[in-house]
Parts: sequence; structure tokens; C-alpha cells
Amino acid sequence: MEKVKKPKSIYYKFLGKTYIKSDSIVGIAFILPAVVLGAIFVIAPMVISLSYAFTDANLLRLDEVAWAGFGQFKRAFTDPYLWNAFKNTLEFVVKVVPLQLLAALGLALILNTKIKGNTFFRWAFFCPVMLSLAVTSFLWMNLLNPQEGLINAFLGAFGVSPQPFLESPKQAMNVIVFVSAWQGAGYQMLIFLSGLKNIPPELYEAAGVDGAGSATKFFRITLPSILPTFSFVLVTMLIGAFRLMTQPMIMTDGGPVDSTMTMSFYIYRQGIKYRDVAYSSAIALIYTVFMSVIALTLRKVTDVKD
Amino acid sequence: MDYSHTLPNFVKVKRKISPAGVTLKTAAIIGLALLCVLFLFPVVWMVVSSFKTQDQIYTQLSSWRTFLPATWDVSKWFVSYKNLFNAFDYFGRSIINSAIYCTVTIVGVLLLNSFAGYALARLEFPGSKTIGTIVLLLIIVPVETSIVPMYVILKKLGLLEQSVRVVGYLLPGFVSAFYIFMFRQFFVGMPRELEEAARIDGSSRISTYFKIIMPLSKAIFATVAIFTFMGAWNEYVFAQLMFSKQSEMPLQVFLQLVNSFNPKDLSMVMAALTFSTIPIAIVYIFCQRYIIEGVSFSGLK
Repeated sequence: MEKVKKPKSIYYKFLGKTYIKSDSIVGIAFILPAVVLGAIFVIAPMVISLSYAFTDANLLRLDEVAWAGFGQFKRAFTDPYLWNAFKNTLEFVVKVVPLQLLAALGLALILNTKIKGNTFFRWAFFCPVMLSLAVTSFLWMNLLNPQEGLINAFLGAFGVSPQPFLESPKQAMNVIVFVSAWQGAGYQMLIFLSGLKNIPPELYEAAGVDGAGSATKFFRITLPSILPTFSFVLVTMLIGAFRLMTQPMIMTDGGPVDSTMTMSFYIYRQGIKYRDVAYSSAIALIYTVFMSVIALTLRKVTDVKD
Repeated sequence: MDYSHTLPNFVKVKRKISPAGVTLKTAAIIGLALLCVLFLFPVVWMVVSSFKTQDQIYTQLSSWRTFLPATWDVSKWFVSYKNLFNAFDYFGRSIINSAIYCTVTIVGVLLLNSFAGYALARLEFPGSKTIGTIVLLLIIVPVETSIVPMYVILKKLGLLEQSVRVVGYLLPGFVSAFYIFMFRQFFVGMPRELEEAARIDGSSRISTYFKIIMPLSKAIFATVAIFTFMGAWNEYVFAQLMFSKQSEMPLQVFLQLVNSFNPKDLSMVMAALTFSTIPIAIVYIFCQRYIIEGVSFSGLK
């Protein structure tokens, strides 16, 4: 015992705190690769984005960057295309989040009972989750083909005239909402199911003995128990929805008439296609602030229980 | 006649539910079946259409036979898969590329993030608290990390040169604040006694890690590996930006070429889509346990 504790050589002081030498060596060695790569590919992009927002940086001449003050931000607030992209994104979020959330929660609540074919249903609803966003987009693009797609063939059997779907500025965003919810709902259903499983059955038994009906049980036991899961799913889904990009990129390229141009896609396009890194960074910065405020407020509001 | 008030409460409750419960359950099953069709038909159609010729797809489009194979002679099902390899010189190559990119990413992610997670969970060193806080912040704050600044960095590092592009594509995928946090949480939950026993027996930190910690953490390693695999296999936006050469493209990007090929062959497109889904489906079917574990972990916080 004495041997291990006494010799001072295994300890050292750094900025007033005592550390164990060997622990520090191993710890730093273990974390170094992650820190180096994280600094280059996670932190540095943020710093670059933050600082380029106040310049006139262009992808083609990154060596000659001049300060532009708040010029890019002024430009952002008067850019009608940006405003349009923001409105489109908001429309997507407002439509897809309730649709997908209610679908996922509803399915989970039903499948949490001892219904026949439970396992089959679970797999069926989960099936689209196995498709990547790219596969989902390419598949639905073909299904929704106005001339020779399956959906219009199906509608035609009921006498409905062929719909333009992705080729119509009015329908394109709704199509993307539907396709996204279709692909993603099964995943959140699984999260809700695992949340529901964690509710101890004794709670229901006790409530039953006390004469509680199924409605009371649902509102007094089920809902409060999955509230943390619900808030988690809500926030992640919301942030995911605000970042919509792959589906419009593949299915519509932002069109028709910019009706499916989203914020993330606009930021990407400004930076990569138009090479305007500075403007792209400025928008990304504004958007980050916007999303953080929403995410953090929502966390606060829904996390009252903790 | 009404005995209910003499019976214990739970009997009454049971009786009350049955008649309404039955209709409710039937309605639920019918509703579920309809929803099932909605969720399944595109996937079924995709797979079935890949077994047909383009002409068969179009002639059967308005009939229910569009959801059944045109022939039950299984040997004729895979014609469009063969065509896919013949029509595109690099289709096979893109599958190999995807496999390579995924393998490298999984190895990198597992090593780097588990090391970092362990360091944050068990070892104290100058800066460990700060790094832990940064990791948490990165998870909580939704930074719009568009690909643009990443592209700038890669350009400045010279990683956009054709010869090293693959490195530029793979390296950024190695670190993830979320995976570091996952590993950290797992290691924190492990009983300290296990490694302390080994340490008292004279085993060094590093050999304890490889001999005691890693074998006991198979579950978390498997979970992270599976999620990494799915992310890497499905990656589209960054991949299509990085790879314009057909010989370097992963499968997901190659789909774009198949889909926009002129003249378009719908059965070939469906074959490519189905093909690129098979690995993910296999992982989901055989690794269910780990996926549900990972899902519930992410659901917990």
C-alpha cells in the first residue's frame, strides 16, 4: 500500500490541480487522434464559416480575402431567394413534423398492444427506413412520373386525371413532405416503442385496481411516461427537417420555380455552385442561431419534468 | 341482476373493456392493414419491377399484376441485374468502392471514438473536462455545418487533388461527437472493479483496455459499427460533391447515373435501387438487437 501511494513521482501538478502521470499520458494519447481530426474537420469548419461570413471570400480565390463587415448579412436580409428558401423550409417543417410524429406515435401506441400480426406490422412500417434517402428519392421520382408512373396509373383507374406531382410548383413540396414522412416514420415508431416498453406494467395494474379507465390510464400514465422520449424525438426530428436537402437535390433540384429550394440546399448552392463562400457562411451563421434558439427553447419547454 | 358492484374492481374493469375493445381492435387491424399497404407497396414494386423487363413493367402498370413477377421462372428474374453490370463498366466497381469506404470508415470510427470515449470516462488529464464539455456542446447545439466550409478546408489541405480525394472524403467521417459520447456513457456505466483488478495484477492501462474493456464492450462497438455502416453506405450529398470520376463513385452516387441514363431502362433503375438496399436490409434483419439498443440509447438522451 505504502509503495503505491507514497512516491510523489506518479503525481504531478498542473495549474493547481493534481493529476496522475500515467493516466495523463494514456489519456492524451487516447484522445489525441480524435482531438486532431475534430479540430480540423469539426471545429475549423465552424471557425472558417464564422469568420468568412464577414468577408468576400470566393472559392476560386481563397488566398485574397477582404473584410466585408456586415455586408453579407445585409445582403442576406434583402435576398428574396433566401426568404423564399426560408419559407419553403418552414412549410416543410410545419407539415412534416406533425405528420411524421403523429404517424410514428400512433403506430407505436397501437403496436404496443397485443394485436395480431404485431411483428409483421412492425417490420412493414419499418421497411421504408431501410431505403437510403437517395434510394427513396429515386424510387418516388419514378413512381410519381407524370407520364408513366405507377401512382398516376393507379389514380387513372379511379378516373383521376394525371397529376404533375414534382413538376408542379404547388404539389412538389407536399410530395417531398409525404415521401419524407413515409421514409422516416418507422424509425421514430421504434424509438417510441422502446419508450413505451420501459413503462412498468405494475403502474397499469395498480391504476386498474383503483378503477381507472383506459383513457385515464393513457393520459395519466402513458403520456407522462413517454414525454422525455417525445421531446427527444420532437427536437431531433425538427432539426432534421430544418436541414432538408437530399430529397429536393435529387428529385427537383430545388424547382420547379424554386418551390422546393430549402435553406440547407441554398447554403450549399451559394457556396459550391456559385462559389460564394462568404455569403454561404453568413447565411449558415444566421441559420445556426435560428435553429439553436428553437432547439434550446424546445428542450427547455419539454424538459420541465427533469 | 347487476352484480358488478359486488365484484372486485379488476373484474369489472375486464368486463367493461371487452365489447368496445373488440370493435376497436378490429378497426385498428383494418386501419393497420391499409397503412401497411401504403408503407409497403413502393418497396414491393421496386423489388418486383427489378425482376421484369421494362416492357413488362409498362404493360402491367395499370393492373394488379404490377406487384407480381411477370414470370415464376426465377432464372429470368435477374436479367436486368446482369444488364446493369454490362451497361455500366463501373457499376461493379462502385459496389467495391462503397464496401471499401464503409470498411475504412467503420474501423476509423470505432478506434478513434472509443479511445476518446474511454479517455473521457476514466482518465483525468489537463483539458479532459474542457474536451468533455465541447463534445456535449457539439451534440446539443445544432450547428448548420454545411459542406461548404468543409470543402474549403479540404481545398486548403490539398485533399481535393484527384490522387488523394478519397482520403479527403474519408477522414472527416472518422470523428463524431455523438459516438464519443455514446462510448463515454457506456464506459462510465462499466464497473470500475473489473479494470482495477487487472491493474492490480500489473496490467498497464493500454493492455487493460484491449484485454478487458474492449471484449466486455462488444455491444456498444457493434451498435456504433452498425450505425456507422448505415451512415457510410447511405451517404449521398458529400459523396456526390467529392466524386465525379465514375471509377471512384460509391453506389449511392452511381444511382444517379443509372437513373438519368439515356435511353432509360426502368427495370435497370429498380435493380440498382434494390441492389443498393440489400446490404442495409441484411444488417437490419440480422442485427436487430443492436439497432434497438442503439435506438433506445438515443431515445434516452
